Amino acid sequence: MDARLCVLLSAAVLIRCVLLCIGVYQDQNLQLKYTDVDYHVFTDASRFITQGQSPYERSTYRYTPLLALLLTPNVLLSAHCGKLLFVGCDLLSALLLFRLLVLRGSSRSSARVYCGLWLFNPLTIGVSTRGNAESLLAVLVLSSLLCLESRRRTSAALLFGLSVHMKIYPVTYALPIALSLTGAPSRGRGLIQNLLRCFNRDLLQFAAVSGSVFLALNLIFYSMYGWEFLQESYLFHLTRRDIRHNFSPYFYMLYVTAEHRWSGVLSLVCFLPQLLLLLLSSLAFRSDLPFCCFIHTAVFVSFNKVCTSQYFLWYLCLLPLVVSRLTLGWRRGLGLLLLWFVGQALWLSPAYYLEFEGWNTFALIWIAGLLFLLINSLILGQIISHYRPADAQLKKTD
Amino acid sequence: MVRVYLLAIILCFINHVDSKEDCFPPEWLKSVSLSVKISKAGFHRDLQYTVEWSDTDHDVQALLLQKMPSGVYLDEYQLETLRRDTGLEVLLDSKVDLEAPEYLSSGFTALVFLSGAREAVVPVHGRYHRPSDSSERVRVDLERPRLLLRSDQCPGVRGVVVDAPCTVSNHSICSWMEILDLEGDAGLSLELPVGDSSMIFSVCVVTVLTTVLSCVYLLRNIWRHGSF
Repeated sequence: MDARLCVLLSAAVLIRCVLLCIGVYQDQNLQLKYTDVDYHVFTDASRFITQGQSPYERSTYRYTPLLALLLTPNVLLSAHCGKLLFVGCDLLSALLLFRLLVLRGSSRSSARVYCGLWLFNPLTIGVSTRGNAESLLAVLVLSSLLCLESRRRTSAALLFGLSVHMKIYPVTYALPIALSLTGAPSRGRGLIQNLLRCFNRDLLQFAAVSGSVFLALNLIFYSMYGWEFLQESYLFHLTRRDIRHNFSPYFYMLYVTAEHRWSGVLSLVCFLPQLLLLLLSSLAFRSDLPFCCFIHTAVFVSFNKVCTSQYFLWYLCLLPLVVSRLTLGWRRGLGLLLLWFVGQALWLSPAYYLEFEGWNTFALIWIAGLLFLLINSLILGQIISHYRPADAQLKKTD
Repeated sequence: MVRVYLLAIILCFINHVDSKEDCFPPEWLKSVSLSVKISKAGFHRDLQYTVEWSDTDHDVQALLLQKMPSGVYLDEYQLETLRRDTGLEVLLDSKVDLEAPEYLSSGFTALVFLSGAREAVVPVHGRYHRPSDSSERVRVDLERPRLLLRSDQCPGVRGVVVDAPCTVSNHSICSWMEILDLEGDAGLSLELPVGDSSMIFSVCVVTVLTTVLSCVYLLRNIWRHGSF
């Protein structure tokens, strides 16, 4: 590993250590806690596991039992072990990003800069030091992509199966991965021949391995914790309709129509933009998996029925891979970044006044949520139109 | 399970016990007062209870039974943290859903123990309510809590006797004396903002139009720049 990357990582470690210490101090001395509520949920679930009980005894624990198992040191050793694990994953993600960037043709010096986008992103640092598990998923998704890019398909399939087990959202990557593993359709052949060509050895092997990892883990946990496991870790997320305020453009509509007879139809309508965009982007960008996964996640999060700021990390971990191939100027890039933050600030201020001051700002939060969707779409549109695929890049260097 | 079971058998009955020593003589009872306040605003409030009585030569333990309507909830996990951090002692008589809206929830009772301390600050959270077409806010009324007293030195209790857990650990049931005719403020209430159901049509139309617009813009971009 080169020395400069070491310096970068050391600085990142230092910042995180300082924040972990501030977190411990703040939790003990101030009323406003640093540690996220979810971290206590994980720890409580781990406590139930160490007592031989189901982690789902902890209400609002809606994750795989694997997470609670991983965090048992929180109960057995020290309550900070989990945070160290998340911070470790957060740093490991940066290393994976560096490898991926170099593999995709970035120079080592620019790869370091793009890694910095992840390492010194306040959201990344905040989320992992406050005890959210998102960095764990970042590691799994990035390592699946690294294995796919370096043609280690079995490891990729194992990791992909595990990621989908940990959180359901990477399941949408299955389509672009499958498309990238199948040969390009040729116009000379018929539809059936083209379809048959799709099911080649690579694809079947990938599907078999990742499917068995996913199924095996689910069978194990189903036999241990029964229906509750499926309900809490999967069905809840699939059928979730949170009417409390969140970043989703649909939140207010779902709240005011919650008891309406059309509410079921509206919920289905909300799936439509996601579905269309995921399908078309899978087809359009199948040759560049990291970019396709980025678009997938950004679309999924922006158009989702529930969206909180932790979800942003799902696509931010892929952003450095995309930024490295953007032809946006610095000024325009920074402008878009600023716009993204302004969009969040516009949502956060009425949300604060609603929640903590009791002002009726529902309509403002709704408008801010819609504006945030427009901003996200504009940014995504700009990224798509200014993205230079690999072959274009190669031609230029030739 | 034991906890819920013990709580479920809280029985209330009136009972006159002749005790030789009266721990709570009528003149002393007059000194007992209870004040309840709600502080903070929005969906996260604090209920501040203060119980006062004049000095007496035996220990006095107080218990408040606070009925909570379906419009608010207490978070048992937050209460557990507070118990560790500040010594707050609160028990809930049933499992409380932390996420459901008001119209899908039921009320419950919180038991606030004041052993030693005569003050308690209990965090209470508002639930989302059904949207309304006439009012921007909805009022959630809280009944005045019932105040119960007991003393370890006087097992026999006079007056209105209520059976309730002895301490927050909820291992045994004690007879508590309910203090009636307390002076002080009546019930409390808090107001929570609610959505506007008269906007239902415009909300749906504008939301769907905005998402369709964003979706079409992105589809067009993907179509133009993707390789098919």
